[in-house]
Amino acid sequence: MLAFVAALLLSIYFTTVGQLEAESDAAADGEFASLERVYSEGGMRELSQQTIARTAREGSMLYVLAESSGAVVAGDFQQLPSQPGDAAERLDFRFERPDEEGRIVRKRARGRVGRLLGGPILLVARDMSDDEAIADRITRALWTVAVLGLLLSVASGLIASWFASRRVETIANAALDVMAGDLTRRAPVRSDGDEFDGLAETINAMLDRIEQLMQATRSAGDAIAHDLRSPLTRFRQRLEAALEAPPNVEADREALRKAAEEADRLLEMFAGVLKLARVEASGNWTLQRIDATAILKDLAEFYEPAAEERQLGFQSSVEEGLTLRGEAGLFAQAASNLIENAMKYTPSGGRIEVRAWLRPDGRMEFNVLDDGPGIAPAERDRVLERFVRLEGARTSPGAGLGLSLVSAVARLHRGGLHLRDGLDAGGRRGLGAALVLPAEARP
Amino acid sequence: MRVLIVEDDADVAATLKASLTADEHEVDLAVDGELGENMALNGAYDVIVLDRMLPKKLGVSVVRDLRQQGVSTPVLILSALHDEDHRVEGLNAGANDYLGKPFSTRELLARVRALWHGRGREPQTRLQVGDLEMDLLARVVKRGGKKLDLQPREFRLLEYLMRHAGQTVTRKMLLENVWDYHFDPQTNVIDVHISRLRAKIDRDFSQSLLHTVRGSGYRLEV
Repeated sequence: MLAFVAALLLSIYFTTVGQLEAESDAAADGEFASLERVYSEGGMRELSQQTIARTAREGSMLYVLAESSGAVVAGDFQQLPSQPGDAAERLDFRFERPDEEGRIVRKRARGRVGRLLGGPILLVARDMSDDEAIADRITRALWTVAVLGLLLSVASGLIASWFASRRVETIANAALDVMAGDLTRRAPVRSDGDEFDGLAETINAMLDRIEQLMQATRSAGDAIAHDLRSPLTRFRQRLEAALEAPPNVEADREALRKAAEEADRLLEMFAGVLKLARVEASGNWTLQRIDATAILKDLAEFYEPAAEERQLGFQSSVEEGLTLRGEAGLFAQAASNLIENAMKYTPSGGRIEVRAWLRPDGRMEFNVLDDGPGIAPAERDRVLERFVRLEGARTSPGAGLGLSLVSAVARLHRGGLHLRDGLDAGGRRGLGAALVLPAEARP
Repeated sequence: MRVLIVEDDADVAATLKASLTADEHEVDLAVDGELGENMALNGAYDVIVLDRMLPKKLGVSVVRDLRQQGVSTPVLILSALHDEDHRVEGLNAGANDYLGKPFSTRELLARVRALWHGRGREPQTRLQVGDLEMDLLARVVKRGGKKLDLQPREFRLLEYLMRHAGQTVTRKMLLENVWDYHFDPQTNVIDVHISRLRAKIDRDFSQSLLHTVRGSGYRLEV
């Protein structure tokens, strides 16, 4: 950088000096030519007069007129700085002069020297010291500006990179703390909204997601451990009891059958966990335009006979033309989970209503309402978590994943699952499950 | 019937072989995709049971290449990944059925037999089991000459049972093939549909055609 600036300045200096020299050479040449003309028209007399007159003039031009022997006739110097050849030639020389305070100063001059026709020697030169001073001044000014500019830019660069590395460091520190195990740590965001804030916000959003996933994994792990321990224990006890009892084909076969059922329940639970995990990792699914009306009508038709068999009143009203962007299999499973939930928890003699319609806000709402015992408002959020089965539900089959799966499917479809009161039935509040999903515009 | 099992997990393969042998099938075993494909090309098998994740060559590629080489033996793909995408991918490659792990032995046996019976069958316009007749074009069902009034879904359910007459059909097979549902209902909803159908085809007749196979599913036969 410095070298570049130095080279630039040197080239400016030499260009300037070169320019000035060229101008001064042109002036000296002009003056030489004009005196040559005086000589050719008026001879030696006229030339020496003119030389004396021009020497007396204020200015930077210097003159010397000498005889062919080199003896000076008139001019600024007592003798010629050099003996010229026959042809006129360019001359660059130094000479000494007292300045205003009487000190001797070495100066530089450039000009032309030559023999005129018949022998006399004429020298016309220009004092270069003023020009050199100008070039020096320009160069010095440029130097100052360049050095100042350089210092300024280096300083501001240092400051900027110091700030940048400070910001990066705070973000990196936050990441390191998270790596060390503090999942609640976040990168600080200042309010000026620069790129670093953008970066910090993105990283924080990522950390939020990681924390959620970690918590979900952790609680799922705890819940799996908790829920699997008792069926596995039962499983083992049953096998042990069968082994210890005296051999009896009938009893042994019964024990095996129960064990197989228990194993099925465990496998079903695992399958549920895996499915839920896959739904929550939403990248695995391709959403397409699906005919929600057809899917829901088929489901209602599918479940109606089973509901009637349980002596449950079953009513369905599904609006025509409901379409959405979704995954047909998951949507059907989510809707079926809600219907099955209602069938499981509504005592016989009760009612179930299934409705679906397009709301004015462009979302479709699917409701399954029952007049069963319902869920107390305080418990409603909790039942959406994995494996949560409320007391009293322990006796009915199911892994406790049904509503969490519906909720995950709703999120995958950019919608939500809401639990409310259902159908009023003399004191019982019932349960109303509402799946609200963005609908596709009607064609 | 000769069955080829292509499965790299030795335990699963041994269990499958034992179950199929007990069901009086002749069973060969291949431990990777390439070997399985060669055996399928060179042996006369009635059904191939193919794991999806296999060393050397994936099950889906094996099916695709077999079909390209003109082998039309029915293929059942077994997979731990029981998801819609993989199921569709397997069926598109030319598999005839797709079963997610874990599965019950009965489910597998029922499907293997259904594949064997279904192979190379001409498209039919009439089905008959005893005195029960189905006209697929006119969409009319008669028993003993008397016309039965069936809902569209009941018609499809009966059609599937009649096409697999004499074989055990599991609830899962009915769910997948009649309703196209790929989840397991927690309620006995299939049984209710079957009992409604039974009321229509069997109630007024002395001989029952639709039988319950305890622990497995249903069978339609004389």
